[in-house]
Amino acid sequence: MAIEAQQITFSYVTDEVIKNVSLTIEQGEFLGIIGPNGAGKSTLLRILCGILQPRYGIVRIFDQNIKHIHSKRIAQHIGFVCQETHFSLNFLVEDIVHMGRYPYLRAFQKQSKQDHKAVDDACEAADVSQFRKRPINSLSSGERQRVVIARTLAQEPKVLLLDEPTSHLDLYHQSAIMELLKKLNGQGMSIIIVNHDLNLAGLYCQRLILMHRGELYAEGPPQSLLNRETLQEVYHTDVEIIIHPEKKIPQILLK
Amino acid sequence: MNKLLLVSVLFIAAALMGILIGPTALNGEIFQLRLSRVILGVFAGGILAFCGGILQGLFGNPLVEPYTLGSASGAALGGSIGILLFGTINPVFAFLGSLGVGLFVYTIARIEGGLLRDRLILAGVVMSFLCSSLVMVIMVIGGRELYEILYLLMGYLGVIVDSSNRLLIATLIIVSFVLVVFLYRYSRELDIISQGLETASGLGINIQKFSIIIFFTTSLLIGFTVSIVGAIGFVGLIVPHISKLLFGPKHLNNLPASFILGATFLLIADTVSRTITVYELPVGVVTSLVGVPFFIYLYKK
Repeated sequence: MAIEAQQITFSYVTDEVIKNVSLTIEQGEFLGIIGPNGAGKSTLLRILCGILQPRYGIVRIFDQNIKHIHSKRIAQHIGFVCQETHFSLNFLVEDIVHMGRYPYLRAFQKQSKQDHKAVDDACEAADVSQFRKRPINSLSSGERQRVVIARTLAQEPKVLLLDEPTSHLDLYHQSAIMELLKKLNGQGMSIIIVNHDLNLAGLYCQRLILMHRGELYAEGPPQSLLNRETLQEVYHTDVEIIIHPEKKIPQILLK
Repeated sequence: MNKLLLVSVLFIAAALMGILIGPTALNGEIFQLRLSRVILGVFAGGILAFCGGILQGLFGNPLVEPYTLGSASGAALGGSIGILLFGTINPVFAFLGSLGVGLFVYTIARIEGGLLRDRLILAGVVMSFLCSSLVMVIMVIGGRELYEILYLLMGYLGVIVDSSNRLLIATLIIVSFVLVVFLYRYSRELDIISQGLETASGLGINIQKFSIIIFFTTSLLIGFTVSIVGAIGFVGLIVPHISKLLFGPKHLNNLPASFILGATFLLIADTVSRTITVYELPVGVVTSLVGVPFFIYLYKK
């Protein structure tokens, strides 16, 4: 089991944002977390990688209680990509990807051959090798997101968590990033993605978790979960569902 | 790396200038006085600029400087109370003031499970205002001691180092250098924090713990500095920017450069403050007068 969450409850001051959620994620899964705004998707994702601590409940990664693992050790197992990164200092792309090696380094420790290889591989995989010597703020937002993924891959994580990584990208970069995730998943990496785009989530994820008002409302493969009744219930929107002609997966149209 | 060479040459030139230039001819006694000024200048300028660089990194905010977090105003308040009670500047009072206000700022900013970092700035700024007002109150009560407090507020490198305070000042300087090396170990963390707290958290940095370490260590350093030479402004705000313009965003490079540039800048400002008029100007006045045009020039370039 890659990640296991047991009866997680989380609250900001008094509002319960996550209510008694349990789930397990097997190694090698491609999991999508969907749901309306404010359903608790992003909070859940942050709890699964230890950025936020739940009020009640236990998170285990690879059968170890996350509370008892050193934060650098967690980062060696789990990579986290947020929606949009603001780069307040204009580092070179290469320097940013090197920061992904942080969990493996002590203060002042020089990067080893192995670190350099991990960075080269990460740049190659995320297709940012051609930008290596460019300052990060000279890239487009789609390219910057790929650099962030490269930095996260340099951590050599077994599980990759992404919070709406494509939400502000154009069609080309959306598909480029999703294809990249699919390839990584094919190589054995677990992918957990929070996504607002139900069609994109349906096309790429093997399993979906639907969050609603802080609770786990439903889970299952896209084929069964993405149906008119459930979406009507959760999103209060009447939709039309058609089947993707090639991939045979439900796609949602607004009426 | 000829930028590094240039900076080192400038630094040595500034130190020599601090010893050689002055209204009176050089003799044994004058040499000793000026040497202690140069040592204090390197110490204060270096530490203020270094702490400025660290804090701008931690807060991801280019406007943060060592005095934003309240410890300098605390030192000024403590020092003023010392002057009111005993008639002279006393480093111990200044230091206690800085530590006290630092702890108070931390207590205000602390909340369970929240982001301490962002609350520290506001708490620090608010406390700075309170301390400044209290210093004004003391100046009004104190009346005739006003002149000494002015030097404490604007900074003054001409502290007389004699047998009564030599040991204390030497100890503070040595401890400060140890703390500077301790802080320098975190340059990699500061690089990462420039990409946001969640990114840093995701890479395994414990933000809460990190903020506390940086906040208290820099508060100590600033308390030491202000308690000896007063609250010299501007160095800690501007020098880190110049250092980043010259040496790039990596803290591994720009923090040591900040230290050397800060020392150089303060030495030059002190030489100017000693020589430009018959009366000696507080060095903090000169740092802004010289620094602002230079910064505008570099920034526009």
